[in-house]
Amino acid sequence: MRFFRETLAIAAKDLRAEMRTKEALNASLAFALVILLLFSFAFEPTAEQTREIAGGLLWLVFAFAGALILNRSFVRELPNDCLDALVASPVSAGALYLGKALASFLLLVAVELVALPVFGVFYNVRWTAQFWPLMAVLALGTWALTVIGTIFSALTVNLRLRELMLPALVYPLLVPGLMAAIQLTTPLVAGQPLGPELYDWLKLLAGFDIIFTALSLALVETILVG
Amino acid sequence: MREKILIALAALAGLLLARNLYVMLLELPDEAAQGAIYRIIFFHVPAAWTAFAGFFVALVSSVLYLIRHNLRYDALAVSATEVGLAFGAVNLVTGMIWGRIIWGIWWTWDARLTSMLICWLLYAGYLMLRRAVDDPTQRARFAAVFSIFAFVDVPIVWFSIKWWRTQHPGPVVWGGGSMDPAMYQMLFFNWIPLLLLACALVMLRLRQEETAREIEALRRHAHAL
Amino acid sequence: MDERNFLYMFYGFAAAWLIVALYVIALVRREKALRKQLDRLRHMLEHQEKKP
Repeated sequence: MRFFRETLAIAAKDLRAEMRTKEALNASLAFALVILLLFSFAFEPTAEQTREIAGGLLWLVFAFAGALILNRSFVRELPNDCLDALVASPVSAGALYLGKALASFLLLVAVELVALPVFGVFYNVRWTAQFWPLMAVLALGTWALTVIGTIFSALTVNLRLRELMLPALVYPLLVPGLMAAIQLTTPLVAGQPLGPELYDWLKLLAGFDIIFTALSLALVETILVG
Repeated sequence: MREKILIALAALAGLLLARNLYVMLLELPDEAAQGAIYRIIFFHVPAAWTAFAGFFVALVSSVLYLIRHNLRYDALAVSATEVGLAFGAVNLVTGMIWGRIIWGIWWTWDARLTSMLICWLLYAGYLMLRRAVDDPTQRARFAAVFSIFAFVDVPIVWFSIKWWRTQHPGPVVWGGGSMDPAMYQMLFFNWIPLLLLACALVMLRLRQEETAREIEALRRHAHAL
Repeated sequence: MDERNFLYMFYGFAAAWLIVALYVIALVRREKALRKQLDRLRHMLEHQEKKP
């Protein structure tokens, strides 16, 4: 019970801090929209082409835009030794991690919910046909991004070349989850229901989320404290 | 003593290899559709197995480091990972050559090839991570954590061949594929010299880690003087 | 013996062994560098300890 209270407190703190400046949120949103627009402009995909690449395009946009939010997750605690204070506080490392992950998750979902209608408009796609299954996949996929992005934000916060290390470590690890999200999103955006042939991808994505959440919770103390 | 073991391992590996090459080239029948090139499989597949064995050793070693905090485990983890990467590269390159000949393409983004390449890049990231941390204890800690995360990908690569019907040939070792029993046996038999070679290389690399630590100690001594 | 693709098979084998050889060369080079560093340090320490 205390764990969840701590988690929510940390999440609220991060969200409140972010809402004051909206730095990461704006950067992420702008980046997502720019990529979507530029891609549409550069390739002018036909309806058929768009249907084929929808999943890949959307998740690449979300992954890159998400990196801007996730990177800041632990970096925001560096000034004024806030990170040391948090680690030394009675808040457990797991709650600290989960709280930050939750905050980043909500921010990233917000960006995605703005990006999706923009995608619909500029690519002429009626993506709302399978709205709730799509939302479910969005949540699972975004959680995959968040879980890994946050734990590696913790790992790389004190490293040299952090800007390089975080993407280099995170993206290969994300690939199975991203691939599953892409394979699930493409048919859903095209309006096809989640048929049994897609269940394997769903299982992969869900399993990915569960395994990495568990691993992250188990190892975050080692990363932050030693 | 260790020198002797190293030389013995290498010699044994060499002998087995020579014997296998003889059998491979002169005794085994040719494959109907592919001709002589199919023999690459006897290096392509065992190289992957060796790489995974290396990554598994790195995983166990990493976990042991986090429990026991003995830097020797860290040394073993990095050595096993490096050797695993070398054999992983062998798997990828022989696969590409084989694919170019048989399918006409150097590469395709099917599940098996993608996940193997990603796995390789992941462990290359492990080496990169180590370079970004100066303090040996912190380096060992972060590397160990990353090694545990990275190993989650290995079962995915392993099972991708079974889960997804892709460009890459279906599973032969388990899952009901058909293969001439003599070839099947050779597949496993050629794994042995590769494993022996891998052990020798890991031992060499381990010794280098010890030397590096000796240098660190001496450097600190020199500073103190 | 089927001569088809024989050449390519050798390319494949050669590639496999080339990679292993490259790794061994990298190891040997690293060994030499480490040993040089070690000797240099030892030398330097002896030199320092000899000073009054």
